[in-house]
Amino acid sequence: MAGTGKAHLRDSPDVLLRIEDLVVEFPVGRTGLKVNAVSGISLDVLRGETLGLVGESGCGKSTTGRAIMQLPRPTSGSVVFEGSELTRLTGDEMREARTRMQMIFQDPISSLNPRRKVRQIVMEPLNIWKRGTDAERSQKVDSILEEVGIDPTRAAESQPHQFSGGQCQRISIARSLVLDPSLIICDEPVSALDVSVQAQVLNLLEDLKAEYGLTLIFIAHDLAVVKNISDRVAVMYLGKICEVAPSDVLYENPAHHYTSVLLNSIPVPDPEVAVTKTAIEGEPPSPVLPPPGCRFNPRCPAAQDICRTEEPQLRAVGDGHFVACHFPTVTPVELSTR
Amino acid sequence: MTTTIDATTAPEDAAAPLPAAPTPPAKKRKLKWPGFGIVFAVGFLGSLTFLAIFADYLSFIPYPDAKIPGPDGRPGRYEWGPGTAAWFGTDGVSGDVFSKVIYGARTSLQVGIFATVFGILVGGFLGVIAGYFRGWVDRIVMIITDCLLALPALLLAIILVDRLSDLAEDASWLGWLSRKWTIVITLGILATAPLARIVRAQTLSLREREFVLAARSLGAKPGRVMFREILPNLIPAILTVGFTGLSILIAAEGALAFLGLGVEVGTPTWGKLIDENRNKIDEAWWATIFPCLMLFLTVLSFNIIGDRLSRRFDIRQAGV
Amino acid sequence: MSDLIQASSRDIDGPLLVLKDVTTHFKTPRGLVRAVDGVSFTLDRGKALGIVGESGSGKTILSRSIMGLLPPRGTVRGGSITFEGREIGNLGRKEMRSVWGKEMAMIFQDPMTSLNPVMKIGRQIAEPLQIHLGMTKQNAWATAERLLQDVRIPEAKRRLEQYPHEMSGGMRQRVMIAIALACGPTALFADEPTTALDVTVQAQILDLLGEQRRDRNMSLVLVTHDLGVVAGHTDEIAVMYGGKLVEKATTKGLFANMKMPYTEALLNSIPRLEDRSHTRLSAIAGRPPDLVNPPKGCRFAPRCPYAQPKCQNEEPPLVPTAEDPNHLYACWYPVGSPENTEIKVRIAASKSEFAAAAGGN
Repeated sequence: MAGTGKAHLRDSPDVLLRIEDLVVEFPVGRTGLKVNAVSGISLDVLRGETLGLVGESGCGKSTTGRAIMQLPRPTSGSVVFEGSELTRLTGDEMREARTRMQMIFQDPISSLNPRRKVRQIVMEPLNIWKRGTDAERSQKVDSILEEVGIDPTRAAESQPHQFSGGQCQRISIARSLVLDPSLIICDEPVSALDVSVQAQVLNLLEDLKAEYGLTLIFIAHDLAVVKNISDRVAVMYLGKICEVAPSDVLYENPAHHYTSVLLNSIPVPDPEVAVTKTAIEGEPPSPVLPPPGCRFNPRCPAAQDICRTEEPQLRAVGDGHFVACHFPTVTPVELSTR
Repeated sequence: MTTTIDATTAPEDAAAPLPAAPTPPAKKRKLKWPGFGIVFAVGFLGSLTFLAIFADYLSFIPYPDAKIPGPDGRPGRYEWGPGTAAWFGTDGVSGDVFSKVIYGARTSLQVGIFATVFGILVGGFLGVIAGYFRGWVDRIVMIITDCLLALPALLLAIILVDRLSDLAEDASWLGWLSRKWTIVITLGILATAPLARIVRAQTLSLREREFVLAARSLGAKPGRVMFREILPNLIPAILTVGFTGLSILIAAEGALAFLGLGVEVGTPTWGKLIDENRNKIDEAWWATIFPCLMLFLTVLSFNIIGDRLSRRFDIRQAGV
Repeated sequence: MSDLIQASSRDIDGPLLVLKDVTTHFKTPRGLVRAVDGVSFTLDRGKALGIVGESGSGKTILSRSIMGLLPPRGTVRGGSITFEGREIGNLGRKEMRSVWGKEMAMIFQDPMTSLNPVMKIGRQIAEPLQIHLGMTKQNAWATAERLLQDVRIPEAKRRLEQYPHEMSGGMRQRVMIAIALACGPTALFADEPTTALDVTVQAQILDLLGEQRRDRNMSLVLVTHDLGVVAGHTDEIAVMYGGKLVEKATTKGLFANMKMPYTEALLNSIPRLEDRSHTRLSAIAGRPPDLVNPPKGCRFAPRCPYAQPKCQNEEPPLVPTAEDPNHLYACWYPVGSPENTEIKVRIAASKSEFAAAAGGN
């Protein structure tokens, strides 16, 4: 299928997660129409790597994260995690597999059950899987709470609403760590936080990643945040991948016009720079009836006739740098030189 | 290196001298007048329950079948008004109205409470599974509740009491199904539908919350998600509806008794008292008004307590 | 274009808004919360002011105090707020009603909940026009269409007939701006107007606000936690911390010559695109102060990397810098002062020592 391509997938024994041709569609009421949330994307993540997924709301980045967890199961495509094909697992096998990958959500307060004590919330995964004795569970929970900077004694007697947003996000992180997962999917974990707290949480994630040898998928709409934490970034637009590149390359040498737009939209905390920037007009069209050809063509400054009819394939423009655009801002390298 | 947390990532609590006290200071826990309404409600229901349970041992409460002699020394119809001879007066068969009101509370409260519990258990269960699983489970539950809600409640109650009584007569294993329990089950079934609908609606919105998704992503089974994650968040809604429903059911028992579908002959209930004496309200108001007043105050008290409890369970308000 | 609805009294001399020692305290069971504690500043006509601070710094409460939008119960207000030479700090709801919309308007963070979901967009814009300005229905709807064009909503006529749920978040925020602009206010308060939006849409909305401000010669107060947002879109910036004004300067002056360590810390916590990935962010450790029992000295002292004994005990006054009398700051050892530089050198030295020790292990 056009517009997708798998040129960017790597053939390495270290691949922890490999998604191919992932499609997620939701019916729109009973109209017979469907929301094309994710339309055939392929991605892979190496062990110990942080993959950033970036795009505007409605581009399918969160849906991709959830489809990896099979919540809900994708419409089609394959998700191979630690060597097993998740889409073919039965319900019970999938529940087991989910312990190896965890999720952190955007709204720190809504993702914690308001009626339970924080320590209980963090211990819940161990209770579900009956891991260890009571004493071992307590010890594990306390040490992880300490690790994320939450006082265990206070956690034992307080409910989530007694903590600030940033602290709730730390609690979510603690909960996701107790089962020792190998992959954590962070779905906009800092978008609801103040910049000062955002920096704390990002630093914490980096530290924990190093300490526990985690692999992260980091989903956000702010490219500056994604760039800071990721090794490799995939830019998504309307259910498709536009560009995949190592994060520094993506900033220094964006190949897709949409990536440039995202980069230009980030407010720069410097009054001398900010005025000269131009923002893009309009908003993404509805994913119910996506435009034919390249999905970005109605907003693209460089769109030609071919963009309206033919969907571009991902192709290499540099080392580990791939773009799905007919007229990229960087000259494509010959496939043979790869 | 044992820890990677350095000065720049220092946990939020470590650096700041913990300004917000983690536990509220002890002086906040001092006793506070909780308000007239709640004190009255608890006091009223408490004393009513006490009197009803221990009526047999309290000398100032006559037995309900005792005949109070009239001024002429012989039992008659409505001979005493409220006063020292009979606190709430006497009724058409020379019975003591106060005594009948207290003994009536036994049946009325039991019927109301058991029917509500029945409704909460069945309706709550149906509502949670319908809201959580959606799909065909939801459709079946909704058809049942829609049918229950669409039929006139009174008609349904009459039919149910009738059928259940027939059943109890025919089947020997249903020997325990006395008229009282028949009414409890009937009213319980009637209470199921609205409870199921409300619980379902709440569950529908709760299941979309991220903490439910988080529990599922931790590998929790549906049962665990429903009972550990969703159910605690339903308690305030269930309490509010339950207490309001309780008052409606106590009144409904009265309505059934009114139609002659009351409990066994000889067992007084408030509904029956009102029914028996309402024709004479002009000459003997006390025999009707006192049971009505009791019913009214009981319903009011339950509503006040229900309201207070649901506020207590509202996290944001209770947290302050 | 919209001269019809321009307020007439735009040419009075003097500043538009003067705040003198404004305080807003809330009575709670825990004690008095000093949400805004003695804030003074002036805002000139047609200027854009950014109020910056973390959540809990009192920035939102301050903007609502000026608007008179706080619940009267349990709120203790003090100081004076003068708007167009008229004292509005002590006005009741009834009198404020004549100020809202025509003189001051506000847009909020969440465009989803601030619009009525069951009312058509057109009616939501036209109704206030009919009520406040006594327009006929036809006139009001025509004005509504023009307002939607002003806020760059394509196909304005068709959009008037739509309901809020048929629009995206960015479009809804544009509608909110149109409603706020409808009666031609002299000052527009925007409380985190772009926090709920995507970065691309955020840039559009900020540009739109700036453009409307210039076209209408309107003052704009932009309340946000992100210094990046205010940098390109305001003339002046007021930084708040713990209910106090801690630094105020022109935008250029502030970024060129930051005095307050808190402002510097806020700026440094923003991830920079030009930094290599995995560059460690300098977060501000700790949390904003408890406003029931604020710290005795400088309120930022417990979190300040440069804090000295004096900072813990004595509260620094708001003083102008030597170079610019309009650049105010409240700090004993401001960034760039000899003492501060000395402390910085000391911290750097101990850090490298620590790193050396850690490397040795």
